[in-house]
Amino acid sequence: MGKPGIQSVISDSNIENNHPTADAPFGRTLIELAKENDKIVGLSADLAKYTDIHVFRDAYPDRFYNVGMSEQLLMCAAGGLAKEGFIPFATTYASFIARRCYDFISQAICEHNSNVKIIGGLPGLQSGYGPSHQATDDLAILGAMPNLMIIDPCDAVEVAQATRAMAEYDGPVYMRLLRGNRVPMVLDRYDYKFELGKAKVLREGNDALMISTGLMTMRCLDAAEILEQDNIHVAVLHVPTIKPLDQETILNEVKKSGRLVITAENHTIVGGLGSLVASLLMDEKVSCDLKKIALPDQYLAAGTLEALQDTYGVSTKAIIRQVRDWVK
Amino acid sequence: MKKEELIEKAFEVRKNVLKMAQIDKKGFIAQGVGAADFLTVLYFYAMKYRPEDPKWEGRDRFLLSAGHNAIAVYAAMAEAGIIPKEELDTYGLDNSRLPMSSMPAYTPGIEISGGSIGLGLPIAVGMALGLKKKGSDARVYVMMGDGELAEGPVWEAAMSAGSYKLNNIIALVDVNGIQADGKTSTVLDTEPLTDKFKAFNFYVQRIDGNSISALMTAIDNAKASAEEKPSVILCDTVPGKGIPFLIGDPKSHFISLNDEGWVRAYQELERGEN
Repeated sequence: MGKPGIQSVISDSNIENNHPTADAPFGRTLIELAKENDKIVGLSADLAKYTDIHVFRDAYPDRFYNVGMSEQLLMCAAGGLAKEGFIPFATTYASFIARRCYDFISQAICEHNSNVKIIGGLPGLQSGYGPSHQATDDLAILGAMPNLMIIDPCDAVEVAQATRAMAEYDGPVYMRLLRGNRVPMVLDRYDYKFELGKAKVLREGNDALMISTGLMTMRCLDAAEILEQDNIHVAVLHVPTIKPLDQETILNEVKKSGRLVITAENHTIVGGLGSLVASLLMDEKVSCDLKKIALPDQYLAAGTLEALQDTYGVSTKAIIRQVRDWVK
Repeated sequence: MKKEELIEKAFEVRKNVLKMAQIDKKGFIAQGVGAADFLTVLYFYAMKYRPEDPKWEGRDRFLLSAGHNAIAVYAAMAEAGIIPKEELDTYGLDNSRLPMSSMPAYTPGIEISGGSIGLGLPIAVGMALGLKKKGSDARVYVMMGDGELAEGPVWEAAMSAGSYKLNNIIALVDVNGIQADGKTSTVLDTEPLTDKFKAFNFYVQRIDGNSISALMTAIDNAKASAEEKPSVILCDTVPGKGIPFLIGDPKSHFISLNDEGWVRAYQELERGEN
């Protein structure tokens, strides 16, 4: 036997459920964009290789700045470059962005609506290193920042589309990154095109409505197919833009029938999609049965990802288990 | 501007500081008058800018990192014609363009928000990289305080500026020796400053920050330096400079004066270097 679980602890890929995959969709899209727009520059804090911006660095070395392990400087320097008319894409891990850089993103970027794109690797439970690398709280933390658009893409297809869309949008954006050389591709099988601020129904179903974001949408779609065999019909509404939230589409879907509503996110149950949806429904006096699939309000354990995601209830299998219990 | 004219101008800047502080009868008076000399040299000797067009692409960028000292910068900007002098009377009041802590959304000529200390040099790194990429010969001037140097990101930025050889940055540290909780040397000793910045690959000069001639020479040296290094001018200043009875006041970080005190401050206000 080899060392247990090393591959999945490091998580250089999100490969699961045997989906086809793509290599570094963010970095490769950035190269295409840079060909079209000479204002695009890249920055990282010694994590170029692990945030897929290394391919951009290699293609455009004179448009890439490595600032070393200085995340606070990373955000301020990106803000400074934006002041000079550039469109900086700054990458590091999501946990450092949310926890370490808050003041710097606020004061050097968002207060001035600066055109900086912040890209966070290892969002939610995507690392087995333990809490330091598990950005389970980034949506809650960064969601409080005025002017900041927040995107949680589902797969490689959406990472590419969202990267292009944010480059065309003038203002600060935070995107949770799915990275590596085997990022799953799912959405190409659906009639789907990413639009900033839009939630979209990917699948219809009369028993439950899953409102999901990020890679949880991929797992919800996979779970829905298996649940179909049990005669449980689950709709999936994908919400890739967390801020601003597409309130209209969410309300319309919830109002459609007496379906059980289930939110699903790769994030703590505090202050993420589930909280936003619950608050929206209460504000609008829309009544329904609501369940939340999310990570617990805890510092999570270290270990192998597959086991951790199952333990904390966010794996495809765990989604199936929970939905079966609730719909019965 | 020549030295004698600069001395006169610094006197006007000090008067502006007093006038603004009097609106609320208290404030950052000691630092304001202490910084008047180097701000005068920046606005009337060192920097290129167009008062009527504060966003002119070719301008030298001036970043006030310690936003609390906005009072001194507004005082200098009014002399420079960037803001009307009569507007100084609105400092800190509702709907004023001159908030007590500087922000670009409020005030023409203000480049960054400086209330959260320690962001000026980090932002300057990005701007300096951007200016070099654009092929611009504009410089980025950053005004920091010595107390501010306790902030970690200053040193992240210093390491980066040295590493990227950003010789288009000229940082000025107002070494006034005071901060909110007392003397900088007792709150957290930031010395030896020269050695620290040298170790971060800066071209370092340490001067009397209330001497117009020393300031002029330091600016000339920084501009002429052939070294591929960012520049820092450590300006030893005297808080309260120009108003003798304020010098050495242990509460000089944030001074309150009674009516008698204001009369005395105006009476005693002196020109700087003779």
